[in-house]
Amino acid sequence: MANSDEQLIRDVRRGKEQAFLRLFDQHHLPLFRFAWRLTGSMADAEDIVQECFLSLLRPDCGFDPKRTAVRTYLFGAVRNQSLKGLRRCEQGEIPDRADRHTPETEALQNEMAETVGKAIAALPAAQREVLLLAHYEQLPLAEIAEITGSEITAVKSRLQRARATLRETLAAYAPRRERTI
Amino acid sequence: MTEAELDRYLDAWQAPKPPASLREGLRARFPRAERRTFARPLRWGLAIAILTVALAGLAQTGPDLRDNPVFRVLSGWYTDFVQAIETRQAAGIRNQIRESHPQVYVDGLRAGSLEYGPAARMDVAVPDEGVYSFVTYSLVAGRGGWIETGRIQGNVIEFQAGSRHVRIVCDKPIVDTDRPVFVRRRP
Repeated sequence: MANSDEQLIRDVRRGKEQAFLRLFDQHHLPLFRFAWRLTGSMADAEDIVQECFLSLLRPDCGFDPKRTAVRTYLFGAVRNQSLKGLRRCEQGEIPDRADRHTPETEALQNEMAETVGKAIAALPAAQREVLLLAHYEQLPLAEIAEITGSEITAVKSRLQRARATLRETLAAYAPRRERTI
Repeated sequence: MTEAELDRYLDAWQAPKPPASLREGLRARFPRAERRTFARPLRWGLAIAILTVALAGLAQTGPDLRDNPVFRVLSGWYTDFVQAIETRQAAGIRNQIRESHPQVYVDGLRAGSLEYGPAARMDVAVPDEGVYSFVTYSLVAGRGGWIETGRIQGNVIEFQAGSRHVRIVCDKPIVDTDRPVFVRRRP
């Protein structure tokens, strides 16, 4: 896998479009899911994923396939781009998550999914990203540590704290839900 | 709430599928190198034509190639023609490099900018080593101090200049296939 990724990256940097699309096809689904869960916006997630793939072609791209797996690099890039966007939202530069509460998305999500989404969105950013990578993308803790630039012990404790908070938040919702199931 | 119950709750929050525009948009933004559609087929066509004529001439005048005037003339024309094509391609490459905001690194550190000379030549000042010229056509090989010390691949040109490693990074792909880079130190 590492070798084939290395070869793909080499071909991508030589301007081979087919290699670029193959790389995209191999990795875009989990990256899009991660970006969407971080931003809550289809449009933002789309932009972020595109930018991350295009960043591989830029001359100042620091990615070295011999040192880091391409998946790890791309997840890190999605994370950084999303954080940048969220910071801009917090500073009021752009409206916050414009399409999060559209009638369309509300119609698509059932009540439980929406509650879970809101509970996760309310987590501190550092806990949220670890939970998303560990639970939804099933990444090993070591890889999450590399993506987030943290120690494995810190990742583990953030994951535990995130799950504890969610257990508490969702417990209030759980009995109501259980009765209706 | 148990761990399994929490997992079940979390799993209810499913992400949507990415829109088709994600792939199409990315594809549209992929930088493409200009394709050579003319020079290469022409060069092959001419080579075959010359070979055919040369063989026809040889069939009439005997097998010794060096003594054959037809072969000598055609061979000279062919060399000149290929040289002209190569120089033209190299000039095209140089122009693409010039338009691609090349950034020069020497041993990994940013260095000065490229200077553009005649005959598709480019010069780079290498600290402690002097000014090095480089070209991307192979007909200079072994002549006038030109030595192949590197390659151009995609958007990156790399070569050895004395004891220093020079890397030039462009913001878009320059060539479809790898090419050698010939380097010499300017006197």
